[in-house]
Amino acid sequence: MNTATPRLSARGLVKRFGSTTALAGVDVDLAGGESLAVMGPSGSGKSTLLHCLAGILLPDSGTVALDGREVGGLSDRERSLLRRKHYGFVFQFGQLLSELPAIENVALPAMLLGTPRRDATELAGRWLASLGLAGMEGRRPGELSGGQAQRVAVARALITGPAVVFADEPTGALDQSTGHDVMQILTETTKAAGASLVVVTHDAQVAGWCDRRIEVRDGLVRHPETAR
Amino acid sequence: MNTVLALAPRLQRAGGRDARITTSLAITAFAVTTGLTLSVVGGLLGFTARAEVPVPEGQGDDASVYVILAWIAVVLLVVPLITLAGAAARLGVARRDARLATLRLLGATPREVVGLTVTETAWQGLVGAFLGVLLYVVLLPLCALLPFQGTTFTVGELWVGWEGLAIALVGVPALAALSGAVSLRRVTVSPLGVARRETPKKMTWLRVVVAVVGIGTFMVVSSAAGQLGAAAGAALLGAMAVGFMTLNAVGPWVLGLVGKAQLRRASTPARLLAARRLLDDPKAAWRVVGGLGLAGFVAGALSILPTIVAVDTSQDPQGAILMDDLVTGAMVTLVVAFLLAAVSAGIAQAASVLDRRREIALQSLAGTPAELHDSVRRRTVLVPLLFVAVGSAVTALVMFYPLLGVQSMLSPQGPLMLVGFLAGGCALVFAATETSRPLLRSVLADTVVRAD
Repeated sequence: MNTATPRLSARGLVKRFGSTTALAGVDVDLAGGESLAVMGPSGSGKSTLLHCLAGILLPDSGTVALDGREVGGLSDRERSLLRRKHYGFVFQFGQLLSELPAIENVALPAMLLGTPRRDATELAGRWLASLGLAGMEGRRPGELSGGQAQRVAVARALITGPAVVFADEPTGALDQSTGHDVMQILTETTKAAGASLVVVTHDAQVAGWCDRRIEVRDGLVRHPETAR
Repeated sequence: MNTVLALAPRLQRAGGRDARITTSLAITAFAVTTGLTLSVVGGLLGFTARAEVPVPEGQGDDASVYVILAWIAVVLLVVPLITLAGAAARLGVARRDARLATLRLLGATPREVVGLTVTETAWQGLVGAFLGVLLYVVLLPLCALLPFQGTTFTVGELWVGWEGLAIALVGVPALAALSGAVSLRRVTVSPLGVARRETPKKMTWLRVVVAVVGIGTFMVVSSAAGQLGAAAGAALLGAMAVGFMTLNAVGPWVLGLVGKAQLRRASTPARLLAARRLLDDPKAAWRVVGGLGLAGFVAGALSILPTIVAVDTSQDPQGAILMDDLVTGAMVTLVVAFLLAAVSAGIAQAASVLDRRREIALQSLAGTPAELHDSVRRRTVLVPLLFVAVGSAVTALVMFYPLLGVQSMLSPQGPLMLVGFLAGGCALVFAATETSRPLLRSVLADTVVRAD
């Protein structure tokens, strides 16, 4: 295991929703460029773990640090900025804005960070081409297949050069073959971009694309450090 | 009862908070539509009844003029009223379509899906109509305070009768059901089709031709009104209705052009998104601001009133009363038009937030600032709003030019009145759209993004 400062590190994460304990003391480390699959059945707490790692939810106790910097003390606005600048997201479906063509969907996060529209659009075009979507820049999400839409989402997540990409069931709405293609692209392009990757999935085949996998059950990591 | 139709109440309850908000908004819209329609019809009936009373010897017969003017008010308000009712029937259409498409996938037939929608919207229409009747009854004594023909109305004069109420209670749910069924065409074609948004079909320039013909018809008829004799009033009224309706045809097309121009210049994410949203569905944008566009048309038409009123009526007391009443009637019509526009805009904005709930929440999770959504929401309304209000007022001035001549346009009070009306109307509509802000905040606060 990498002994340098982990890119993303969580210690003793506890998160409760009312009387339900979603996370009961979870430790996770993620090295730069490493991919980690978080597995577990429905309701096991894996999505809550992703939300805590990404700064969407604040844990009731425990810490999360990005490159050694604790993110728990940041305000809501600061965490939002952190997600915009340093994280990328790929959800199961629905994160693409339906009224924007593919190229503008990809360019939007860069524009939100202040890149001029022309430059952001050029960059987005290059990302789409590198993911095999040349010629589809003008298509809207409704005119793309599920696999194509997820590739657009991958480009959208990577355009800002994030430190970590979080993917929540990225193949959940796809057939097996398309899901295989999307995972290949997601893991390869993320690694090539130097970003770390956290994939939440209940599918062992999807998890098999990652460097490591952990299994969350009843809010605890049950089978840590399962090598690929 | 059919198994699928029997599901209607359960599906409604299962929709949770969003479904309750959508239902409340739809019912509010139907109630406002019913209440104001009954009030306007009551006014028309009041003037008609007065016109049927024999005129004493030596007095001029202005009563028939009042009936024509009341009909003009009805024509001016009918489109905003229909727009609001249509908006109510389309509320939350994205969520409802997704839910019904799932039912189609599970094996429900197109007929059952239509039945379910018709049941849902008809029920909302019925509750709305009932509340609208109550609103009408509450407004009755207030409307009766308005002075016309030298005296106020009695409540009895403005009463539409039990048959009028019955027609509302049957007609509103029926129209709601029809509108709901029409809005469902896409679901019944394909259960998969509804979740997919594709590049919108372009609206053709034929809409402009329709508008030019409509407005031209009014201008020709109005310039020849003198030769039409007794038929002049009816011809003018019909031509005005045609001209007015054409605004509804050309409005979305013009908004599409505005969207294209905005898109070319968009340099920030908010401008880009607002332009794309406008371009994506100009008809939906028109539904939000169209009410004010139509009110702007009314304001433009009414801005010539000061000139008419300025005509020396000191020798003609009856003429003076008529002119005063003309101004009162115009103001009432305009206030109702602005209220309808504000309610339409507020409801459409809230529905838009609910329809986009999932994508707004996911964008927020990915770090998109809340200010962007606010900025896009405002821009989506404000830019078309200003454009439509001013454009409609100018159209009205052009349309009425042959009827009243250049002198009517030269009075300084007219333009001042117009600017005042438009500024007040825009502020009212903008305030109404801001009521969706707390709803947007609650969507952004939701970190658990549920599937639709």
